[in-house]
Amino acid sequence: MTLTNRPSLARLFAALLLLSSLFMALLGMSASAYFVPAACLLLQAVLVWRGKGLTLFKRIIELNQITGIVLILVLWLGDALHLPKLDISGAMLLGNLLTGGPLMSVLAVPILGALLFGKGLPRWFAANAPSRSGEA
Amino acid sequence: MTQKTIESPIMTLHSLSRPLASLALLACAGVAMVGPAHAASFTGSATTPDGKPAFGAMVTVFNEAGNRRETVYAAADGSYTIRTPFEGKLNVRVRMANFDDNRVTVQSAMNQLNRVDISLKRFASESASSDALAASAHNAKLPWKSLDDRAPFISQCNYCHQMGNATTRIPRSHENWIQTINKMEGMLAMLTAGEVKTIAGVLTKGFDGQPVKATHNYGPSAELSRAKVEEWLVGDALSFIHDLDVAEDQKLYGTDEGHDLIWVLDRQTGKIDKYPLPKINLPRGGKFSGMNLPIGIFTGNHGPHSMAQTKDGRIWITNALSSTIMSFDPVTKVFKTYPVGNDALYPHTIRVDKDDIVWFTIVASNQIGRFDPKTEKMTVTGLPSNGFFRWVSDMLFPTLLHISSWFPEKTLLLDFSHHKFLGYNVLAFPYGIDVNPVDGSIWYAKLYANKIGRIDPATMAITEFDTPMKGPRRPRFDAKGVLWIPSFDEGGLMRFDTASKAFESWKIPGLADKEYEVPYALNVDRASGDVWVTANNTDRVLRFSQATKTFQSYPSPTRVTVLRDMSFTKDGRVCSSSSNLPAYAIEDRVPSFICIDPQGADKDRAALGATKPAS
Repeated sequence: MTLTNRPSLARLFAALLLLSSLFMALLGMSASAYFVPAACLLLQAVLVWRGKGLTLFKRIIELNQITGIVLILVLWLGDALHLPKLDISGAMLLGNLLTGGPLMSVLAVPILGALLFGKGLPRWFAANAPSRSGEA
Repeated sequence: MTQKTIESPIMTLHSLSRPLASLALLACAGVAMVGPAHAASFTGSATTPDGKPAFGAMVTVFNEAGNRRETVYAAADGSYTIRTPFEGKLNVRVRMANFDDNRVTVQSAMNQLNRVDISLKRFASESASSDALAASAHNAKLPWKSLDDRAPFISQCNYCHQMGNATTRIPRSHENWIQTINKMEGMLAMLTAGEVKTIAGVLTKGFDGQPVKATHNYGPSAELSRAKVEEWLVGDALSFIHDLDVAEDQKLYGTDEGHDLIWVLDRQTGKIDKYPLPKINLPRGGKFSGMNLPIGIFTGNHGPHSMAQTKDGRIWITNALSSTIMSFDPVTKVFKTYPVGNDALYPHTIRVDKDDIVWFTIVASNQIGRFDPKTEKMTVTGLPSNGFFRWVSDMLFPTLLHISSWFPEKTLLLDFSHHKFLGYNVLAFPYGIDVNPVDGSIWYAKLYANKIGRIDPATMAITEFDTPMKGPRRPRFDAKGVLWIPSFDEGGLMRFDTASKAFESWKIPGLADKEYEVPYALNVDRASGDVWVTANNTDRVLRFSQATKTFQSYPSPTRVTVLRDMSFTKDGRVCSSSSNLPAYAIEDRVPSFICIDPQGADKDRAALGATKPAS
């Protein structure tokens, strides 16, 4: 199957990811660590725009969600559970920033929704996926 | 005994018109033994170069070792009298704003009253005149485009040290100022990237090495000439003695935040002892090891900061860098450490309530600590965040600082923290704290959120109030339950009536037009109601009278006087620690304990039988 017309959701998410990347880069001008999520968001914008690298695209979003959720849970419950709270929260915060940071976490909800429950975005990625050996 | 023994010709120093003769004669000129006293004492007059009385001039006697000195202020007729515990070869110096110092050396035994008439000198050059000015004259010339531009400079660049003293006004290139400010950020100056550039630009233009002209008015008065100042040099050039407290034994205790020491001064004997805090398993800089605390000054990991004493005699100390509190028994000299836990960052000011419960602010994590010494139970309460971005700070600042500690001294915090684009206001910064003597409630001041708050000690219910002036720093109660609050950022004094919930505020007068003040801490004399305020931009201490609503200024005998907490002795002195960071920028190159006795000169005159100065 080929899909020549880029679906509107891909355009929308690419635009939002690009804007988020630019915003993070702007923050990075003051605090350089924010360049890291900016780069990740830019990568995500490119992937969704081109409809390529679905696995990477999804893994980044999933990691972002996991690190974000664990970060919140650890900050909330870490003392009560007698966990090495700040070690875990530090690792999760770094992981979250590496995978796009808080803006990615926000955008991840509709993007994952579109990937899991929609049709347009999966088709767009599938249409642009490289042909596997042996496939027609 | 009334016999007068004249050992040298009486000669007033201001009469010495030939400079070449002056040095040779200084040791004996103007010095005469005029009678017995209880210690090496001096009386005479201080005059301006044209022979007029130098009203308010500081006449300071240094001990032979040069590590102690006592000062009185000349009366309206220029007369002064001072009684010291010193003997031997003593330096006597006269100092007053707008004139150059003069000194004489006097050989004096105990029980000897010496007459020294001494004249101020004219400055030899414009630069000498400029160099003698307090920092406020130098930083007043900084070319800020707006007060908004200046606000973060006052808030973030004036609290560890003066800006404008000899070490901080050295002309630098823009790039060099950027590096210097970056270094300060490593010590938790919270500036945005834009503010760093703005401040560097202004400092590059403003601190150009050119002499500053200013006429400073410290406001001499009859009240001033009744006072006496005592100073004891403590520690070394790299000591950072943060707070001073007067304990029940009437000794002065000082927390050396850099070297993890408690300094103890016996005022009666002049003996100074130091007690090292016990080691803890943390790197240099403690929880702040990821920051760039200056090597040499910050050698420890506890960072003892503030002190308060319980009725059992133990002195309680907040350890800012190790996030612990510690008890110190002044009798047994035993320390005991209690972790604060709860991700607490920078336990700060500490007070004790009437039930001997220890309360302390925790600035960087926006919390209040409560510790019961009897049960050894620690309770940490989060304070209201005061907005979304401060909530983010409360949530993540401990984590960011922890990440930074994985990379010691790399100040990684600055690469992550949202203060780099939103400014220091992202922290609430509960700073000073005190106990209301009327109802026992606990009150704190949030330095960056511009609020004060009340905690009901029974229910822990919290109520906050916006302050009319910015930068509420270290407040204290008077006996009637009125909270007095210094406004660091706006150079003011605020009064909050906890009964009527009404504020009243006063702007602190500068030494000259367009100069500002940075009141860091204050304390209230519960007997007189007078509010004593540190004035760290201008080398003075202020005393605010509740009756007259006026400020009395007490100029410091020492240039670069940056004082912290103030504490009272039972014999009527108000004491503090000279705590400029670094100490080597202080005129003496070392910190000191300083006490002002508002009636000290009167007492000396009475003891020596001298006439009281005319008012």
